[in-house]
Amino acid sequence: MVVFKFLDWFWLVVYIITMVFCGILFYRLGKRSMADFFLAGRGLPWWLPASSVYATHTATDTPIWVSGVIYKYGLRGIWYTFFPAWCAISAFASTRIFRRSLAYTQAEWQTLRFSGLGAELLRGWIAGWQFFLNMFVLGWVGIAMGKVCHYLFKWPDWIGLVLFSSLCAIYVLAAGYWGVIMADFQQGVIAFSVIALVSIWGIVVAGGPQTIMTKLSSLGQSWRLNPFAFTGFASGDFPLAWFLTMLVIAIVGGFGMGTSIDWYPEAQRIQSARTVRDSSYSIWGGTALIVIRNSIWAVAILAFFSLYPHIQSTAEYEMAWYKFGFEFLPVGMLGFFFAAIVAIHISTIASHLNLGASYATRDLYQHYLRPKASDKELIWVGRISTLILLVGSFFYGLMMKEITSWLIFALWIMLAGIWLPSILQVVWWRFNSWGYLSSWIANLGLSWLICWILPEFGVIRSLPDYQLFWIMMVLGSLIYLPLTFLTKPENMDHLVKYYVMSRPLGWWKPVKEEAVRRGLLSLDAQRIEGGN
Amino acid sequence: MGWIKTKWTSQEADQWTKEDYITFVLSPLVYVLLVLGVAFSLLLLWYGWVILGAGVVLLVIMLRIIDPKLKAISEDYEAKQKKYLEDLEKIARWEE
Repeated sequence: MVVFKFLDWFWLVVYIITMVFCGILFYRLGKRSMADFFLAGRGLPWWLPASSVYATHTATDTPIWVSGVIYKYGLRGIWYTFFPAWCAISAFASTRIFRRSLAYTQAEWQTLRFSGLGAELLRGWIAGWQFFLNMFVLGWVGIAMGKVCHYLFKWPDWIGLVLFSSLCAIYVLAAGYWGVIMADFQQGVIAFSVIALVSIWGIVVAGGPQTIMTKLSSLGQSWRLNPFAFTGFASGDFPLAWFLTMLVIAIVGGFGMGTSIDWYPEAQRIQSARTVRDSSYSIWGGTALIVIRNSIWAVAILAFFSLYPHIQSTAEYEMAWYKFGFEFLPVGMLGFFFAAIVAIHISTIASHLNLGASYATRDLYQHYLRPKASDKELIWVGRISTLILLVGSFFYGLMMKEITSWLIFALWIMLAGIWLPSILQVVWWRFNSWGYLSSWIANLGLSWLICWILPEFGVIRSLPDYQLFWIMMVLGSLIYLPLTFLTKPENMDHLVKYYVMSRPLGWWKPVKEEAVRRGLLSLDAQRIEGGN
Repeated sequence: MGWIKTKWTSQEADQWTKEDYITFVLSPLVYVLLVLGVAFSLLLLWYGWVILGAGVVLLVIMLRIIDPKLKAISEDYEAKQKKYLEDLEKIARWEE
């Protein structure tokens, strides 16, 4: 248990007051219109959504997750944290296409890309799924804060979960996305500074880089410094096949929309940027900070390993980075560190509260229940949805026990069967709403069947996650590809309109030729592109 | 870099060209170099600084390749955005 002195409480209280005040300050902007409440009026320079990308994806569970994989796998575990690299290509491909569509949400984009009943079913499905997924994310991030508070103050887990999420909800309810983005900026700066400070402090405590490397060598653990220490092509706990699969998922996935669960918060940041160029740089820059942050953390966890090399309990070594902060920082800095953790925590909570509410408001309430609702009414629906998400997250959070297993499941399996369809919907004109919808349904059934049910009953053996990814992808394609060809292509009028507006990448030749034939694109354009 | 186009008309910028494809290759490579470069630099290994430096140089090259095109796309698109937003609201309200 950690004991706070006066200065520690001072840092914490000052920070919380500043943060909540900063959010409320934008109350007037947030209530101007729905575009302000959910997209800050679509007018932000790139560095604001970039800081939000960074802050949102730096949560209380992130150092727990990074500590877990680096302690277990050494520096090669850094590749477990490399999934955000889908933004490397996305920033210049799918981000550009999505920004041009102007859709508020990914669910709305479905009805711009596809048409008819299939598109509406997709929109309703994705909106509903996103509402509950955001509640789920709020739960798992919230319970991580509960764990931190338990570690620090021996509070029951629910207190940390409820207290800080509720504080954060004050400014999200008041100012919507304006509050989120402005608080994210200050939280992002604080979080990055403190992560760097505590990590470097930890490296120093361990005796500095040279001592760490010497200790690892004397322990026979030098391989931990090699990020490419594979255990074989398909054998051992870190096979090359896993690494190659990760690279394909992370990098090629950037051509699609929804290939990662992180796409959905990023989509909101993309639309809040003032231009196409700003949206590209916001996604690229925010993610660059994330991958740099992971490297800083990784070295700190190596330092931790050199001090405590024999920890067997996952729950214990997952707290490695927090241990550095709380057990080794000087008196008076504990409160500052904890205030930074609060910053890390609520930036994520705020984003997911507002994001989940945007799906409930724009895609469910307005589109299906009250299409003619005024902006004032929609903002109130946004606030009520925010409250429902908050309360729901408390229940979800209290049901979760171990962070790492949930995250691995979410990163690999929940999206394995829809990874390729999420790319096809962007790059291939013939892929239709029924194909995409069927891939979702097939994936839900297949993932539970292959990952949980069949191994549980001994029908198949438990497979490594990277093998599951490819199996899920192939099995899913056996369902959605025939279904795509057995059903009609999307309406050509709808496709032409989408093409002219968004100018997608890939195989769109029939649609492009039709757009040229209708005089919507110049012949020069076709000549320049060489009839792609 | 004479073979890289730096002046774009709006029609040209709307196409997917070699500048985009080069960026698709450079961008993930920059991330990989940043990840490795930062980690090895913190361990005070000399090759960490080399990798990090290479990452920064590639980043500058990438921006010089893609930025003029992104500027042209943005300028052209923002001029049409108001009309597109009006259409979007009509769809949301089932008026289209």
